[in-house]
Amino acid sequence: MKKGLILTLVLLVGVLSLFSQTLTVWSSEKQVDFMKRIGQEFTRDTGINVDVQMVTFGDIKSKFLTAAQAGEGPDIIVGAHDWVGELALNGLLEPIPKSAIELDKFAPSGIQAFTYEGKLYGLPYAIEAVGLFYNRDYVSDEEVPTSIDELKALAKEFTTDETVGFSVTANDFYHVYGFFSGYGAYVFGYNPQTGYDITDLGLNNEGAIKAGYLLKSFFDEGIMPQGMNYNIMDSMFMDGLAAMIINGPWAVKAYLDAGIDFGVVPLTSIEVEPGKSMKPFVGVQGLMINSRSENKAFAMEFIINYLATAEGIYQFYIADPRLPARNDVSQIIEEQGGPVPADIVAAFTESAAGGEPMPNIPAMQSVWQPMNDALNNIINGTQTPEDALNDAVSKIKVAL
Amino acid sequence: MNKFTTFLIWIFIGVLNALLVWAILLLFILANYGLGVVISIFLVLTDWAIFSKKAYPYRYTLPALFFLFILTIYPIYYTIDTSFTNYGTGHLFTRTNAIDTLLTDPTYYFEPEDPKTYDFKVFVRYDEQYKPTEDFLLLLYDDKNMYLSEKPVTLEYDSRGNLIYAESELFPVENDEVNINDTTYTLIRPTESLGTNGSDSIIAIEKDGGIRYAYFYSPVDPLTSTNSAFYNSVLRQNYLKSLNLVLGDQNFRLSSSTIFKKFSEAYRVYDTSVKVIVDGEREIYKTVVVNTLTNKELVERDSAFWDYNENGELYRLIGYKDYIGGENFAKIITDPRISGPFFKIFGWTFAYAGLSVLLTFVVGLAFALVLNDVNLKGKVVYRTLLIIPWAIPAFISVLVWRNGFFNETYGIINRFILGNIGIEPVKWLNDPFWAKVAILITNTWLGFPYMMTINLGALQSIPGELYEAAVIDGATRWKQFRQITLPLLMVAVAPLLVMSFAFNFNNFTLIYLLTGGGPAMAGTNTPAGSTDILISYVYKLAFEGSQGQDFGFASAISMIIFAIIAVFSYFNFRFSGSFEEVSR
Repeated sequence: MKKGLILTLVLLVGVLSLFSQTLTVWSSEKQVDFMKRIGQEFTRDTGINVDVQMVTFGDIKSKFLTAAQAGEGPDIIVGAHDWVGELALNGLLEPIPKSAIELDKFAPSGIQAFTYEGKLYGLPYAIEAVGLFYNRDYVSDEEVPTSIDELKALAKEFTTDETVGFSVTANDFYHVYGFFSGYGAYVFGYNPQTGYDITDLGLNNEGAIKAGYLLKSFFDEGIMPQGMNYNIMDSMFMDGLAAMIINGPWAVKAYLDAGIDFGVVPLTSIEVEPGKSMKPFVGVQGLMINSRSENKAFAMEFIINYLATAEGIYQFYIADPRLPARNDVSQIIEEQGGPVPADIVAAFTESAAGGEPMPNIPAMQSVWQPMNDALNNIINGTQTPEDALNDAVSKIKVAL
Repeated sequence: MNKFTTFLIWIFIGVLNALLVWAILLLFILANYGLGVVISIFLVLTDWAIFSKKAYPYRYTLPALFFLFILTIYPIYYTIDTSFTNYGTGHLFTRTNAIDTLLTDPTYYFEPEDPKTYDFKVFVRYDEQYKPTEDFLLLLYDDKNMYLSEKPVTLEYDSRGNLIYAESELFPVENDEVNINDTTYTLIRPTESLGTNGSDSIIAIEKDGGIRYAYFYSPVDPLTSTNSAFYNSVLRQNYLKSLNLVLGDQNFRLSSSTIFKKFSEAYRVYDTSVKVIVDGEREIYKTVVVNTLTNKELVERDSAFWDYNENGELYRLIGYKDYIGGENFAKIITDPRISGPFFKIFGWTFAYAGLSVLLTFVVGLAFALVLNDVNLKGKVVYRTLLIIPWAIPAFISVLVWRNGFFNETYGIINRFILGNIGIEPVKWLNDPFWAKVAILITNTWLGFPYMMTINLGALQSIPGELYEAAVIDGATRWKQFRQITLPLLMVAVAPLLVMSFAFNFNNFTLIYLLTGGGPAMAGTNTPAGSTDILISYVYKLAFEGSQGQDFGFASAISMIIFAIIAVFSYFNFRFSGSFEEVSR
């Protein structure tokens, strides 16, 4: 009886599949249009339809987790490398054989970011790290700070009731990691052979505490007002009311569109102490395949031969100007140009090259909330940096 | 009733039956037997209610019962069931699913160092309309050899009807001829190229009955690319994707390392075997998974399969969902992360829910009394204005409160109101006390229009004569309010206050959007915040605190919250019942 039923269903699926063989891609807004275009090429070559759906970036992972375990969900997702650990642990990502791709063409940091427990779980298309944006109305190219002391001195000149000299999303660990790494703090100890050691936490060491005091001093010295957050910072820079901010390449297009005359300094060229420069978190964006998909073979062909090619990644770059994850794309950018001035691209490239990859292990999940809480307490003066960071580390340890 | 209406009713009954039968079939195929059985019973009952005179009254209660089951009882059952499992990150699938994956997923196929690969061509039979059919032959070839395979014979499907394994045997072609199970296949070449031996010039293959399979597709031949749609969406998807070709003791699959353009040697790494465990007198049969390369049995630990790597260390392959008994409940007590700040949060949850009800009620009642005054002009305007906070979605107004009002530097309250009267700025969202105040202010703003509305309704029902009598007796306004208005009002409103309490007890949205539970409690080793209520604390623990999602644990806490609310509501209803004596 059951066999009969299954057979009927199989026949049904067989008949339906004649008409509805479709690859589904979940992507955030910016990439949708050109991916549809590339999808049409794929359809022409293989007869498989490609349906690119827009899902808000912040929702992709959680929606994917729910849908994929029910055997539904898209065949391909466009997302960040720090999702890899959690998704791979759940068995929801399909490994991509390294032999199938032109490994030497991709930026090594991109490949490393998508490698989890020795397997490659996605193809990188863009690499990003935050940098220091400066508005040329306030700061000229010659005045650009090269150390924290210079930055502070410069910022104080421009901080008034209406404007702000320097701003960073200080209660968000991602944005301020550069200060921490600059002083020698780290999240998890890393060994190239054995990977991350989650028992070795470097977030309450001497360097981390110095970074905590530095962040607090921005508020104590009146450079940044209390209650500053990303949205306020972003809109102030866009309105020309902020002289310098720390933000990522995703914001560039909006600032260009707003007509702000700005430049970008790589964080890595700013020293926290003589000889010690900031190293921001490096994030990698890439394409991942749903291991529960019925079409994963097609999905693999699509991303390897159509999206993660030099031409494809150039298209990603046009749509969303972050640093391309393939070395051969820079040549295309030189020949055909791109939406972002070359000096800004170069600054972010340098920032990313000198940064530290964000750990892609699931344990990273436990770091964000305690660290953000600690940063909040430091900024408000509720706790001393020592206490706040020790608390955060013990919270992380307990969570692991 | 005219014929047309009868006809429509019959159509409706037919469609309803068809839909339910379809749903039941689907549920059984998806192995969701519980729900399938329930809907079957419902189908029988519905038809009985429709066709039997005796069951007439049930026609109207059955739909309600159906939705009660689907929307309430089933989720409760599911939550209870989940609370005893480790369902969550790393444990999403059943054990059978996990084993299926280990056996059939291409990820767990092993390719030798230097695999033998073959190019291939597909030959397809056409039907009378010259359309390709799913009857096909596969020709594998390299420089020297050619092998022919018929359409696969062994096919295995998973519970959703997806092909997960197919098998077929390869037979060597000699002198353009091959004999498979008493059937002879002959390779056809154009006459002028007779005698050549390569695979390039083959245009068709003929079966001994004269049936012709025409050369259809090859991934390396651009001339056949027009056929790629049928090849990809039908042949490859339905057969080749999971096809295992057997040649002696060699196995070949479409390989991802050649981006599916060739068949390449590949072997299953894992296989199942059945182990007998002797448990006292009884023998238990257990399916275990064996690594065929090392001949070692996989270790099952913490509801996951583990294999040994080259260094003899265990590594995790895949986890599965398993029943773990009361572990999730035990964790609440034994895990210091949870039990630590639990009582603080527990206390605040009650205070928050209670104060929210009290404040909204008091403010709502005050406005209701004013609006109820007969002397007030322009009531409609005032009432409309006062209901606005209720009409704006909380998602929007809470964010306005958070960013527009309570921001320490840029918020209206600190910048313009307190700043102008010379008061130090208040750390609205960053001081534990003021954050609580901020939450209560916002919640009062959001909740008073509701209280005002129900109070207005209740005030209308109090007979005017009571007040006239009171005035004659010389009662003051305050006394009237105390002795007449409030007691009579409570009869109608008290149950709603209990509901409001229960709602606020679980008002995750407000907390999450306004403070996110923050500011963090200092000196704890969990992500607890000073304004976290139970549900938001649980959300952090189950979904943000550890290494992913923990549905089992979240279900366990949900049950505890449910129990608290149930007990509280029970006593509250008894308590609110005491008001009813006033109206007797």
